[in-house]
Amino acid sequence: MSDLVLIGLNHRTAEVERRERAALPSADVPGALTELTARPGIQEALILSTCNRVEVVSRVDGADPAFEILESFLAEVSGLPRNELSESLYRYAGSEAVEHVFRVASSLDSMILGEPQILGQVKSAYSLAVETGSSGTLLNNLFQAAFRVAKRVRTETSIGEYSVSVSSAAVELARKVLGNLSRKTILIVGAGEMGENTARYLADDGAGSIYVTNRGAEAAAGLASRFGGIAVPFDQLRYWLAHVDIVIVSTAAPNLIIDRSMVTSALRTRRNRPIVFIDMSVPRNVDPAVSDIENAFCYDIDDLGAVVEANLEERRGAAALAEKLVRQESEAFWARVKSMDAAPMVVEVRRRIEEVCHSELDRYLKRNGPRDPKEMKELEILVSRIAGKMSHPLVTQIKSAHEDPTHERALLTVVSRLFKSHKDPA
Amino acid sequence: MNWALIVTIVFYALALLHSCLGFFQKRQIFVSLALCMVGVGFLFHTVYLVGLGLERRHFPITDLPESLSFFAWSITLTFIAAHIRYRYNVLGAFVLPLVSLLMILSEVAWEENHAIPPLLRSRWLYFHVSVAFLAYAGFFLMFIAALLYLMQEKELKSKRFRFLYFRLPALQACDELMRNSLFVGFVMMSLTIVTGAFWAQQAWGRFWSWDPKETASLVTWSIYLLLVHYRLSGGWRARRAAYVSIAGFVSMIITFGVNAGLHAYL
Repeated sequence: MSDLVLIGLNHRTAEVERRERAALPSADVPGALTELTARPGIQEALILSTCNRVEVVSRVDGADPAFEILESFLAEVSGLPRNELSESLYRYAGSEAVEHVFRVASSLDSMILGEPQILGQVKSAYSLAVETGSSGTLLNNLFQAAFRVAKRVRTETSIGEYSVSVSSAAVELARKVLGNLSRKTILIVGAGEMGENTARYLADDGAGSIYVTNRGAEAAAGLASRFGGIAVPFDQLRYWLAHVDIVIVSTAAPNLIIDRSMVTSALRTRRNRPIVFIDMSVPRNVDPAVSDIENAFCYDIDDLGAVVEANLEERRGAAALAEKLVRQESEAFWARVKSMDAAPMVVEVRRRIEEVCHSELDRYLKRNGPRDPKEMKELEILVSRIAGKMSHPLVTQIKSAHEDPTHERALLTVVSRLFKSHKDPA
Repeated sequence: MNWALIVTIVFYALALLHSCLGFFQKRQIFVSLALCMVGVGFLFHTVYLVGLGLERRHFPITDLPESLSFFAWSITLTFIAAHIRYRYNVLGAFVLPLVSLLMILSEVAWEENHAIPPLLRSRWLYFHVSVAFLAYAGFFLMFIAALLYLMQEKELKSKRFRFLYFRLPALQACDELMRNSLFVGFVMMSLTIVTGAFWAQQAWGRFWSWDPKETASLVTWSIYLLLVHYRLSGGWRARRAAYVSIAGFVSMIITFGVNAGLHAYL
């Protein structure tokens, strides 16, 4: 009888200062794992240590103070005083531990919900455990399942779909208006940092030509060279508005640079092909009235903030679905583990009952002489049916024992004693 | 052949349900399932139409139930084509309600053994009516694209990013769908009028008689002609095109509904 236990602390239970002290550099992890698995009752172990969490997962064998062993171990390796550590810890066993691992891998337990890095961190923690040899059948199965669940959450819910940074929100808005950005052209007005970041996102997204203009031509040339873009003179702004699809404005100018009439005439020249303005400057450089013009779409820094906020909201919605999925998967996984645990005992019970029945049949045949084949067959069937009817309720009980955790161990102990199984589950 | 009709209706209804689930919950799995169901439904629908045609020994668009069913078939055909081309996940939730409704109406209005007017026993029927329904289907798709455009534009202009913002396709994408379904619908409708004229010349000795349906379709055709013209000359896209295409769609419904004069049988 073995069980899965997990202890840990994360950004919700411990301050950053405490997390920093508890964190284990990955170079120290193999040594710590070797030491931990040497302790009595600890069969398998894995340590996950990131800037937001430190967790130890382990398969323990009959060690009742399992949490105790893990806790004192964590206190030793982290150098956190025992009482400080204890008050920050969460402790999970069995199916709860499974669910926690699945939630962490799926980024449902992350500080920024749905951020993608955590899966990579869990993967490297797992490979450290595999390399050290501290991970066995249970943890291997558990983490393989966790990676699969994380992938399902990514593909089946929209949790990772929404951008939560201002620059990527700008790209998202441009895409909502213009669709595929691959052949769209971009004009960057001003050499501000925000504008540069956004342009980088757009360039990564495969946007077409990038033009840069600035009052100071030198800064424009510098920025253009960084993107493989083309610097154009600032006094030709009016001309360029008619020839680009996305305009990113990020200057320190205190006044409006782009006004209504400029946009109206640009749209006339470009035969109403839509144009998107992203105004990242404060104070604003694009007249807000531009928004009222058909086929012109203008967003300032507050609008981008609203997109980010709406995206976070959508992520939270998607997270509810993901939680449901994770719960189902963890219950299914735990039931599988338990039925695998029960398998040897099931085999043993069946074998014992069949053995008794068949030896009695043999004895009967020896005493009463050989039978004709037809009668032999009937006797064989009779005996097998008795064996089957006897073992069936027992097997059902063993297989469903995990559904009632308080009596699980007692039930399995009784069964194994009755059938003199070699493996005692205590 | 009625079992094929029932199976078709069931699959279309299931597809509608899954499209709506996909739309509200934004889950790809439902959209993909819906598409499979539309595919299967369409297959049965085709089997049903062919079977009906063979059984009744005419192209099955000679009475109201038959035409409703054929209209639904044409819409599904254009929907599948549009999906293969554009892959907009939300399209099903907007197109399939009409498809399901048409199928149910067709089943409700069903009449056995109706006699068809001798006039319709003509080879022109096949061409004239099938291009007419394809034109209707194309314009319906354009109407849906226009609705999607206007809704998404409203979200983007109001700068409040809510339910529809996350679900509807990009504006340019809606505009592209509007453009292409306009061109398909317009070509089909032009063909309808031309073949109709030739058929009329054979049947009644005149190319054009100004009966109500002819007049209505001329009005509809002119509205779309206007759209095509301004679209190609550059000015009318986006919001204006969306409004005009809604007007065109209303006119198209009237055209479909006017069954007096020479077109009295349908």
